[in-house]
Amino acid sequence: MTNQLDLEAEIQRLLTEHDRIAEQGITVQHRDNVVILGGEVESPQRRDEICRQVSANFPDVEITCDIGITRAQAPSEVEEIS
Amino acid sequence: MIRIAAVGDVHVDKDVVGRYRPALEQLPDRADALLIAGDLTRHGTVEEARCFAEEFGGLGVPVVVVLGNHDHQSDQQDAVTKVITEAGITVLEGTTTVLELRGHRLGIAGVKGFGGGFAGACASNFGEREMKDFVATTEISSARLGEALRSVAAESDALVALTHYAPVPETLVGEPLEIYAFLGSYQIGQAIDSAPTSLALHGHAHHGSERGRTAGGVPVRNVAHPVIKQAYNVYQLLSGEVDAPLVGAA
Repeated sequence: MTNQLDLEAEIQRLLTEHDRIAEQGITVQHRDNVVILGGEVESPQRRDEICRQVSANFPDVEITCDIGITRAQAPSEVEEIS
Repeated sequence: MIRIAAVGDVHVDKDVVGRYRPALEQLPDRADALLIAGDLTRHGTVEEARCFAEEFGGLGVPVVVVLGNHDHQSDQQDAVTKVITEAGITVLEGTTTVLELRGHRLGIAGVKGFGGGFAGACASNFGEREMKDFVATTEISSARLGEALRSVAAESDALVALTHYAPVPETLVGEPLEIYAFLGSYQIGQAIDSAPTSLALHGHAHHGSERGRTAGGVPVRNVAHPVIKQAYNVYQLLSGEVDAPLVGAA
């Protein structure tokens, strides 16, 4: 049986290596019997695909998807470099 | 004074086209150039490169980029570079460009860079061929960055190093320590310090921190999109300098 740490590693590899995901910036945390996915992606479609693929590949694991969409508004401030 | 906009890790594909554009339309009012610190695409395909070129091309200010590890995923980095270059965007890899902005010369040297780690936990050029290849990749990339920076230093009023991988550990804070060696290398920092660099920009570390400094005192900014949480940051250089009128300006 896959232990908890191996499960997290396997989910991380799926997130990076799956053709339809290719995300390296997603965090995977285990809390009680739930795996919580965190971090940010560039579109709602990508977030939904991650949750779909992780659920499909690990059907026995309860998944909570806390992934956000990175905001893309123009900045309001300038930083002076010295 | 010149202002440069910067972002990294935009990972453009069909689903992202249009998301950045409203902020990019405002960019010429806020900055004189846009620098992008790699991971332009998701898988490094030609189709994704076209999406990137559509989203970030034709801005009305110069756009200068380096590729990231995602842009190498499909082994089509040369074709990706060609598509982006044909859209009028400058792609740096061991090369330089000098932009004339408000009468000042902004020198930019760029490489993708590579991993290897930092003091106390860095890989060595020793042992298996695979390990030596890994470390040699960083050594070669860092050397090319150093040479490129030094080659344009004399003709630049301000000098920027643009990489995908990180040159210092400070801007990785927030990432697991275990993966620092895959996020950057101290040798990139040494290359940046080998020239009178004004600012070093990188991406790659989505959970890292925005600000750091090299051992030699050069400001470092991690501009990965999930770190800056907006379409781009704007940095002001040469604040004390009086701007000369652009040649040919009315």
